This record gives sequence, C-alpha cells and structure tokens, in this order.
Amino acid sequence: MPWRHAPLAYLAGLLAILSAPPALAQESAPFTSPQTTVTVVSEAQAIAPGQPFRLGLRQRIASGWHTYWSNPGDAGEPPQLTLGLPEGAKAGELVFPAPERIPYGPLVNFGYENEVVFPISVTPPATLVPGQTFSVKADGYWLVCAEICIPEEASFTLDLPIEATPRLSPDTAPMFAAAEAALPRPSPWPATAGFAGEAGALQLAGDTFSPASVEEAFFFPAEWGVVENAAPQELTVGPGTLTLSLARAKGELPERLDGVIAITDQAGSRSTYTVSAPLGPVPAAASPALGLWQAALFALAGGLLLNLMPCVFPILAMKAVGIAGLSGAERRTIRGHAVSYTGGVVLSFLALGGLLLALKAGGMVAGWGFQFTSPIFVAAMSWLMLAVGLNLSGVYAVGGPASSGSGLAAKGGHAGSFATGALAVLVATPCTAPFMAAAIGAAFAMPPAATLAVFLAMGIGMALPYALLALFPHLARLLPRPGSWMERLKQFLAFPMYGAAIWLVWVLTMQTGADGVLLALGGGLLIAFAAWAIGAAQAGSGRTGLLAKAAAGLAVLGALALLPQLQGATAAPRIPVAGAAEPWSAARVSELQAKGQPVFVNMTAAWCITCKVNERIALDTDAVQAAFRAGNVALLEGDWTNGDPAISALLKSQGREGVPLYLLYSASGGTPTVLPQILTENIVLQAIEATTRTAARVPGQRSS
Amino acid sequence: MTAAITRRLALRSALLASAVVPLLPRLAHAAPSVGSPAPGFELPDQDGAIHRLADFRGRIMVLEWTNHECPYVRKHYGSGNMQALQAEATGSGIVWLSMASSPEGMQGHVTGTEARELTASRGARPTAVLLDPQSQASRAYAATTTPEMFIIGPDGTLLYMGGIDSIRSTRPADIAKAEPYFRNAMLDVLAGRPVAKAVTQPYGCAVKYAPSA
Repeated sequence: MPWRHAPLAYLAGLLAILSAPPALAQESAPFTSPQTTVTVVSEAQAIAPGQPFRLGLRQRIASGWHTYWSNPGDAGEPPQLTLGLPEGAKAGELVFPAPERIPYGPLVNFGYENEVVFPISVTPPATLVPGQTFSVKADGYWLVCAEICIPEEASFTLDLPIEATPRLSPDTAPMFAAAEAALPRPSPWPATAGFAGEAGALQLAGDTFSPASVEEAFFFPAEWGVVENAAPQELTVGPGTLTLSLARAKGELPERLDGVIAITDQAGSRSTYTVSAPLGPVPAAASPALGLWQAALFALAGGLLLNLMPCVFPILAMKAVGIAGLSGAERRTIRGHAVSYTGGVVLSFLALGGLLLALKAGGMVAGWGFQFTSPIFVAAMSWLMLAVGLNLSGVYAVGGPASSGSGLAAKGGHAGSFATGALAVLVATPCTAPFMAAAIGAAFAMPPAATLAVFLAMGIGMALPYALLALFPHLARLLPRPGSWMERLKQFLAFPMYGAAIWLVWVLTMQTGADGVLLALGGGLLIAFAAWAIGAAQAGSGRTGLLAKAAAGLAVLGALALLPQLQGATAAPRIPVAGAAEPWSAARVSELQAKGQPVFVNMTAAWCITCKVNERIALDTDAVQAAFRAGNVALLEGDWTNGDPAISALLKSQGREGVPLYLLYSASGGTPTVLPQILTENIVLQAIEATTRTAARVPGQRSS
Repeated sequence: MTAAITRRLALRSALLASAVVPLLPRLAHAAPSVGSPAPGFELPDQDGAIHRLADFRGRIMVLEWTNHECPYVRKHYGSGNMQALQAEATGSGIVWLSMASSPEGMQGHVTGTEARELTASRGARPTAVLLDPQSQASRAYAATTTPEMFIIGPDGTLLYMGGIDSIRSTRPADIAKAEPYFRNAMLDVLAGRPVAKAVTQPYGCAVKYAPSA
C-alpha cells in the first residue's frame, strides 16, 4: 500500500473495524488438503470473563472421504484436539456428534462425511480484563480415510476479544446449532440389553413406539468389541417397544451396554439418543415380523377369538337369537343364513381393510378401529344398540311376526343375516384379540393385496363358528326344540344390548365431555320414544297407527339432527403439548406479529416420535416455558396428525415433507427462524433469546 | 491347584480335538475365537512356495496383517518396532508370517518381488510374507485392521488376537508410552503361561478386501 494513502487507509480500516468485526474473526485460518478443510471455530464473537463458551473442531470433508466417531468401528481413529489456553482457563472434552454407518467391504466404520463440528467447552478465568484478547492455540490430529487413510495434523490459533458481556457470532452460531442438533440426546426410554452366546438384543420401552411410527433404527456401540459392527441389526417394533437384534463381538462384555441409537421415524427424520442399558437376559422382541402365511394364520386365530371379546358380545346376542330361531328349521334355510352372515362379516372386513388402505394412500394415518374416533359414529352406534335392545325387549317388532329376528339385522331374510355380520365387524373393531395386533401390524407393512388377504383371513376367522353351521347344517339339530324359551332368551339378550349402549356413551365422554353425553342421551330418549311409537303403531291401526308412525319419524329425525352438534362438542380438552398453545393458522400468526408479539410455531402430529420427544425434552420444560413467558412469545401449534392442507402448504414452503417443523417469528416481522428438527433445550433457549433481543432493539441498530 | 489341573485337562482335550477338527467341515465365515482351533489357510509366499497352517504344527506362530502403505503400519516399521518384534520372535523359534492382504489394484498390494524388496529395504525379519490378494485368510480370520496380530499355539489353537499395542495413533512417539499388548501376549505364550489379555482392540487402516466371489 503506498505510504501517502496511509492515513486514508487507516481511517478506512478504523471504520471497517467499527462497523463490523473482521470477516470470521471467530474462525481460525484453515488447514487444507485435498481431503479436508479444517478449522477451529468459536461460537462467541467476543467472550466475557468467567463466561463459558464453545469452540469447535470443524471438518469439511471431500466427497468419498470420512473421519471417525469416538468408536471408529472396525478401523480408523477418532480425532483429537489439544487446547493451549491462557492461564486459568479450563477446557472440557471434545464432544462427538452422532455418527453415520460407513460400510467398507465386509467391514463397517462409524464416522462422518461432508461436514462435522466437534464442540468443546471452554471456561475462561473470571480475572480476564475486557478490552484485551483471549488467545487460543489448538493442536488437532485426525485421520481421514477413503479406501486409503491419511493422518493429518495442524495447529490453529484464534484470538477472541474480551468484552464485559459475551456476544454470539451470527456466522458460527448456526454451525453450533447444527452441531448441537447432531449430538445424541439422553434416551427418554428405559433400555435393557442382553446376550446369550453370539446373539443378543437391545430393547427400548416407550409408548411412542408403534410399528407404523418407526422406519429404521441402528445402535452404535460406544466401545469396541461388544457388538459386531458389521452385523445386520434386525428391527422389531411392537406396540410400546423397540427391539434391535445385536451380534456379539469378540471383546469382553462390560456391565452395561453403552452407545447411541439412531431412530428414523415415519416422517423420515433421524434422531439419536445415548443409551446405557444394564445387561441381563436377552430381551424378547414384542411381536416378531410375520410372513404372509403366518400373518394370515394369526389373523384367522385372532378373528376367531374376537368372538369372545366384550365388544362383540352384544352382536353375539343377536346372533344367538338368530341361531335359536333356526332350531328345527330346514337345512337349506340354516345354510343360507350361515352363508349370508359369513358373507357379511368377510365383506365388511375387506371393506374395512380397503378403506384403511385408501386412507393410508391418501396420506392419512388411520389405525384399527379408526371409525371410533368419530363421536358421531359412536353416538349413532349407541342409539343402534338401544334400538336393537328395545326390539329384543318387545317394544316394537321388525319384519313379520313369525321372525324371531333381531332389529335391523333380522328382517328374517338373508339380508338380515348379512347385516348382522356387517354390524358385528363394525362394532368389533375397537377390540383387539390376542394375535391380532401382530397380524394387523404385519399386514400394513405388506403390499395392498397381502394386506387384504390378512383382513380376509381375519373375517373368515370371526365368521368361522357360523361358517361351520353352513357346512354342517345338521349341527343346528343339537339346538333344543323351538318353544317359549326362545322368547325368554330374546328378552334376556336385550340387556347386553343396553350394556353396549352404555359402554358407547362412556366412550363418548372421553371424546366430547359432558355436552356430548347430554346430546347422546337426549338422542337416545328420542330413539326410545320412536321405538315405543312404532310399537304403538304396530299394535293399533288406521289413524292411531299413522299418527304414531309420524311421531316416530319426527323423533328419529330429531335425534339425527343432534348428530352434527356432536362434532362441535369435539373440542375435548386434550393433554396440553408445549404449554398452552393455541391452534395454528397463518392469519393468527400475522395478527400476533402485528401486535408486536414474537410467535413460536410447532407443527406436530400424534404419530411423530421426533415431535413427541422434542416436546418432552425441549419444549415442555420449565426453563423453556419460562423463557417463552418472559419473551412474551405466543405459542401456536399445528396438528398434522390427520393431514391439513394449510399445514402441508407451510411445510412445502419451508422445503419440508413432514413434521416436525419449528418456526420462530420475531416481533418485528420478516421471515421466521427455522429451528432444527432435533431440538434441545439449549437450541430453543438460544433461539428465543436471539429473537427477543432483536425485537427489543431500536430499529436500525445492528442485530446479532 | 485344581484350576491348573482343569486347564491341563482342557489343553489335553483341545489337543485331542485339534487332531479331529481338520477332518470336519468348517463354517466358511465363522469368526475365529481364542481357545478354538485357528482357521486354516493355504497361500503362496514371496517366493511362490505354498504354506498351510498345518505345516507349522508344533511351533508357535504369529500372523501379522500388513499393508506397507498404511500410516499405522508405517508407524511400526518406520520406528523399527515391528522389525524388533520379528527378530525377538523368530529368535525364540516362533514362525512369523506377514500377511500382505491387499487385493490387486488397492493400496498395499505387493507381488512376490515387491515383498522381497520391502523385507530387504526395511530390514524386516518375518519367516515369510504370505500373499493373500483374494482375501482368503482375511475372511477366515475376520481381519479388520492393518496391523492386526494373531498368535497360534503349537497345537493350532488361537491364543491371541488383537492390536499391537494400546495407543491408537500413527505417531511413533506413542509406541514407548503404550502397553505392548502383542509383545506381552507373545512373552506369555513363550513362557507357557495363559495369555493375560488374549483379546484386545486392533487399530489401524481397514483391511482391504477383494470382492467376494
């Protein structure tokens, strides 16, 4: 630089220093090789006396190369960083983000590709003087491998200004946020593990696990020699448990199995957890993955056992009446009824399976017994049970007087038997018999045709006792002769139907609360009135009959008119997630922003494990909730459990295919900060602090 | 006292078993384990002579997995540590086989001529260098790293498998500071003692494998 320009240059330099710190003063000069670019970075732009901050060893790795985790796997070596700090400063240990599985021939290594930051915490002494500089010297040593391995080492220096209060760097803070998101979090699930000979397993227990929610899992052992690194780990997810099979390696067995488990959920997001499992007996997988034939066999047995489950009991009552009516009937009649009933059951199962498949294909998440999530369905079912019960009690009759039928399902003809079968399936679904969970779980992991085959088997199983009647009609001869006992039995069997109605109303209390129950019972009253009126019409004739029929019709219409209101009553108090969040809408966000309030948006779904864990670990904590309150941050929550076009659009706009999505809008408006999919308390707290600090500043002032 | 008798009995039955085992079909990729018969192999050395495990029955054997271009191997040859161990072993009557395990076209692959030149230029003292470009022995021993060390007893039983020492690094300065796992095991075997640490963690570059046929 020519000398005569010096004052000008000096002034320009001074201005530059005043307006902005030198470019990336918080990152050291890089070490570069064809394989790596490595630096030491600081999350702090300026540090303060006695205030801990983090440094990081940042490796950018050329494509095809990798570096290593603390347990490198079958070969390799973890990186080392030795810090030379000013006197009185203390350094923690290098912290390792969760690794990837890197196969090489028959071997498997654990490490990192592309980019990784290993954080290390530093506590400077309280005696530092603001205005001076904190000089860090760091000696790094690491191995980088593709097919061949190259050890690299470098010394880094970093000078950090000391100020009265620490300042985070806007350039490196995202690196540390990403690094923190990549760190395994403590597993919230109790873990057990065991080995017997060469085989073993690790099991986590938690109600967030279900076959539909976990896509993939892998366990990275913390130590060498315990688990065979390259052996496939078979994943079995049962309701409430996740089990990974592990192959024993040749080293000594420790007292606990330590390591990191990576779980990829249905939404496709991977989250990692540190696990420390006491070693004991080999935990058994909850429900083994079934093949088609096995699943079909289980389904058949499950369907058969379904006949003994309480949900189906009232329907069985109806069927018992039907069978009693067949006593003494002709073989052909018996066979016809049994075939119709079997057809009703089997076709309903197929329809149910098809509907579930269609819902699933449409991106909805529907499980076994999904129709019971609708309060309208539950209320209508309770009325149907009441109506059938009243019929059995003899309040009114359906069909010809000769028919010993049962309400809707006993028009005497085959249509009645078919309807009974369909009704049985509809009511039976919330019940799960032994073997069924395994069969249904397996069914949905199969191609659609196989899924339907399993449902078919289940239907056949449930109808089996009656199908036998069709095959061997002479069995009906074992029934007692027709007589007055049939009428008694019929009247007695009304009581299970009333019981079923009571149970359904109880289900409704869970869904809709007190208002829903009032609507359901009021509707029940109208149905009972209608039944009585029909009975009166059947007994009377002419004008009286006509009037009674009209009254019954009005009462039924009145009951039906109540149904839509049940949907309104659905706003049942649910367990609060992420504090007291309001439901999300784009309009509500702008409204709150206009009021000058920062907004935190949590997009979640009931089936999203990552979401639930984030909420438990990083959102529902006292510290985070307090920070939300202190920052006057409004909490909005979007529930994507059943899909939602508005939420889907927002996800798309953020380049996401699914939940979780966390957005933090500052009070001053503008685009939101997108938080990582894996949250820790620290990440959320820092984001809140950054947002509220920006908001508190006078516009125009530099924000960080 | 009783423990010693039990051990002697076990040794005798192992001797008996080892006479039978070669006649039995062996699982193709069963991992080797200490106390069991060491997996067999049949490989050419640097001069083309064929060696089998059974040829060395009656002598203590050391197998050293190697790839002369691997930085971890270079640590032990560059410092003279490996040559010293080889001299000590062969001086005590031990058969030392260096297993050049890299397939053709990969780092560490050597021909017989190259193996002879390397032995001469490095002052190495193995009994022989065996060439295993098809990964026959690597698969049989489930070898993971270079270097990786195995010791086989005179009866063909595997007595030690693992690392050369305890400090996983490429720095020669660490050799003196490390616990010499392999040498300790070798001294135990020479003295007729049970090996105190019979399985240790090997460290180094990944063994290069030929694609499986």
